[in-house]
Amino acid sequence: MINQDEKIKREFISPEIGNGILILNTVLTFMYFYVITFAFPVGNKILFGILIFGEVFHVYQALVYMYTIKKMNYEFPRNMTYGPSVDVFVTVAGEPLDIVSNTVKAAQKMDYTNFKVYVLNDGFVAKKNNWHEIESMAYDLGVGVITRKNPGWAKAGNINNALMQTKGEFIVIFDADHVPHDDFLKKLVPYLVDPKVGFVQSPQFYKNYAKNYITLSSWAQQELFFGPLCKGRNGFNAVPMCGTNMIIRRSALSSVGGMNTSITEDFVTSMYMHQKGWKSIYIPEVLAEGLAPEDFLSYYKQQFRWARGSLDVVFSNNVFFQKGLTWRQKLQYFSAVSFYFSGIIVIIDALIPLAFLFFGIVPIITSTMQLAAIFIPYIFVTLYILEKTSNFSFSFRALAFSMSGFMIHVAALFSSITGQKVEFSITPKKQQSGNFVYLVIPHIFYIVLALVGIIFAFMREGLSASFITNTIWVFLNVSVFIPFIYASIPSAMKQESIKKILANEYS
Amino acid sequence: MEKTQNNSSQVLMRFIILCFCMFIAGGISYLFFQNQSLRLDESQSLWQSSHSSKMIISLIGQDVHVPLYPLLLHVWLLIFGTDIPVARTLSLIFFILSIPVFYTLGKKIYTKDTSLFATVLFSISPFMNWYANEIRMYSLFVFVALVHMYFLIDILKNDSRRSWIGFTVSSLVGVYTHYFFFLLLLVDFIFYLANRKNFGFNAFKNFLRVALITLVAFSPWITYVFYLGKVSNASPNLLSPTSVDLFNMFSEFFIGFQNDFINTVFLSLWPIIILFGFLTLRRNMVIQPGTIYLIMVFSIPTTIAFFESIYIRPIFLSRYLIFTMPAMYLLMGWVLSRYPRFLMYTLSCLAVLTFVFGFTVEGLSDMTPTKENYREVATYLEANALPSDIIVVSAPFTVYPFLYYYHGFNKVTTLPVWDQNKVGPIPSFKEDQLPGDINSITKDHTNMWLILSYDQGYSEKIRIYLDTHYQRLVLKNFSPGLVLYEYKFSY
Repeated sequence: MINQDEKIKREFISPEIGNGILILNTVLTFMYFYVITFAFPVGNKILFGILIFGEVFHVYQALVYMYTIKKMNYEFPRNMTYGPSVDVFVTVAGEPLDIVSNTVKAAQKMDYTNFKVYVLNDGFVAKKNNWHEIESMAYDLGVGVITRKNPGWAKAGNINNALMQTKGEFIVIFDADHVPHDDFLKKLVPYLVDPKVGFVQSPQFYKNYAKNYITLSSWAQQELFFGPLCKGRNGFNAVPMCGTNMIIRRSALSSVGGMNTSITEDFVTSMYMHQKGWKSIYIPEVLAEGLAPEDFLSYYKQQFRWARGSLDVVFSNNVFFQKGLTWRQKLQYFSAVSFYFSGIIVIIDALIPLAFLFFGIVPIITSTMQLAAIFIPYIFVTLYILEKTSNFSFSFRALAFSMSGFMIHVAALFSSITGQKVEFSITPKKQQSGNFVYLVIPHIFYIVLALVGIIFAFMREGLSASFITNTIWVFLNVSVFIPFIYASIPSAMKQESIKKILANEYS
Repeated sequence: MEKTQNNSSQVLMRFIILCFCMFIAGGISYLFFQNQSLRLDESQSLWQSSHSSKMIISLIGQDVHVPLYPLLLHVWLLIFGTDIPVARTLSLIFFILSIPVFYTLGKKIYTKDTSLFATVLFSISPFMNWYANEIRMYSLFVFVALVHMYFLIDILKNDSRRSWIGFTVSSLVGVYTHYFFFLLLLVDFIFYLANRKNFGFNAFKNFLRVALITLVAFSPWITYVFYLGKVSNASPNLLSPTSVDLFNMFSEFFIGFQNDFINTVFLSLWPIIILFGFLTLRRNMVIQPGTIYLIMVFSIPTTIAFFESIYIRPIFLSRYLIFTMPAMYLLMGWVLSRYPRFLMYTLSCLAVLTFVFGFTVEGLSDMTPTKENYREVATYLEANALPSDIIVVSAPFTVYPFLYYYHGFNKVTTLPVWDQNKVGPIPSFKEDQLPGDINSITKDHTNMWLILSYDQGYSEKIRIYLDTHYQRLVLKNFSPGLVLYEYKFSY
């Protein structure tokens, strides 16, 4: 039996997909959009407008995805003998001592000659109790430690502070829980021989993915991003920084004034570096292993932070107005952040069948079969492309978590628009116990609403074709919400919850 | 030791299930479907096969089909007699033979359990069972297609001489079984192009060789059809399909021929397919070339037939695409096998129950839309028509199944009036000729019994004309679309 971890790591190998199927899906996408927009008489105009708004987003997402993954495997020049000086930063802000210690020890063991490890200890300014212990641990292990005394700008501030006190030609950043492999530097440094390369990013792998349902689902969501999406973005010089497991050219970072100080400091910094003409490279090989959130609340917070940060980029650093980026780079950056608008689209898609069930209104008046004839090939070819490009790692759980996160996305959108202040918070590295069902109340409410709607519509319509079809759409939405709801209950945090999944899909 | 015992008990269990499938196909199917009235297409097969071999070839050359099945039926009828159950048994035999082939094909692509489940679906398929009891070539078509698909997969996996020979022979038999077999050959070619790296080194040459042999072997027939000058007849007289027809085909593949209500309810469930698609998204579940082949077999011929019917000439009929159905069942088995165990068992049971429901309703209900009860019409008329009455059949070609059963003394004619003994096509309907035709029919007769079925677009015009000019005495439905009227001409 293949080791589970090895299997997962291997699956970053994305097979190229034929142009034929991409063209076919492009045609199907446009056909679907055309048919739904123009081929049928409009029913309720407001619903129609909402539907088309949602479909525009779907079409945009599908087309950008296909454009991104049309080629995924790129070769970059490298020199295996290249050996510049490297400063390795392990960013810490109160994480448990054992976790930090593991990371630091692994960093020390990296197979490279010219590097120095620093613990960037932000525990003091973050008012964490263990900051002193972290400092002692660093001294004991014989690595540098930089404890910040002047607060500000969270992780970005921590890194920028360390930049002023170190001199290495390159900087490696590891989050406290991301344990590097011995060959991390040996694998990544050679690509920096090209003086135009600003940074090289490697994947964030969750070594605790098999701990429980939440870690497994978190990882499932990550795979598409660190698989085909990042690999494809290599072709547009639009790989974003992911905050950890990356090596950055100091001069490149200095050219943009250090790490950006927003809550998604990594993402914005990479955008600024691309603006300045620096190149980025993504190496799809797991070279460091971190920790996924182990409880639903931590997952929820992490997702909210990512969503909020990305949406802030839309509103405060609109990529389309950034000079120095090519239109392809702008498209890639926008596609990365616009994913978080999908919450609204999920809500739209979920509400349209409810509108029929409660009020008997529909956005378009269609022969059901005409819609099916165009929608089914479109959706199945799309799913096939997703599966193929992710080397058959994209799962229903990933889909369910992405779609069911709609309330996180909407909440982030609201807070971003209203400019609510959000503190940079670190995802807890230890499991927090509790029942987090309150976080999925909107999903449960939808199910209740759907049941009432079904009864209501049945009394009005009987067993009509429209009633059956809309009931099935509602059922489909509910089915997608169920894994997310399950993740919120305490038993999802137990390893037993995923035994069968591991046996079936990871063995 | 224990493992060996487990294995042998599993083998035994599979064998029992397979035998049971064949029993269902042979026994239950016989009980449900064999006793039905002869249908139009069947009467045509019987009529064609009742001629000499030379004449059969000539008749088929002017028809829309190829000659293998009528010739086989001809021999079969010579040996075993010409009763309808005897003629239908030939189709049933091909269906029963298809079951182990289906299982073997499935086993070659998937696991034994997946294949066995799909085989159960295949053997209780209402659609398959319907055509397994019809005096037409469709069960033979499925049998040959299954054999052909088996050898294609065998070529992919083993690339042996045996598989190439089987592939060649099945190609030759297939093209003489149904014109649509060429669509399967096209699928083979596309599949090869898309999966070249999975085939053996000499595969391209061998495929070319098979193509050449098949074309050479088929060319005498094509030349003959051209020689007869009837090539325009080689497309059936059909209407352009709509998306409803397309989905009706899928519905028929699942639940067979059902009335409008059941069909509508079933088709309205279509978004569930999206959910099934979502649920198949599981890690580490790679889509193998065999699955790709089945997807192609299922989708490409359907798509081509559908679009050709819209843009070139109508050829879309679910029964012509029956050879794609086994691929659909195997894919269903594969999809379900990807699900978590509980979901897999639940949905498998649901699928079997749906098929059983379809099978039962299709077999027992009088409202099954494809049932054509000419036998009862004939019996009714034998008992009720007076010597001065005339019987009129429309559309004209439905006179064949009617006459098969009708042994009364009344004159039988058609509307439009058609002399069956004259060579040439059936006269087309002209509305302005209708009064003249009716007048010629009314001569010397007091009452007219009008049998309307297979509406060719003018049944309603005939009915309205007669309703407005004569007194209607009787209206009787015998099966969906088969209506008997009695009109009084004179006292």
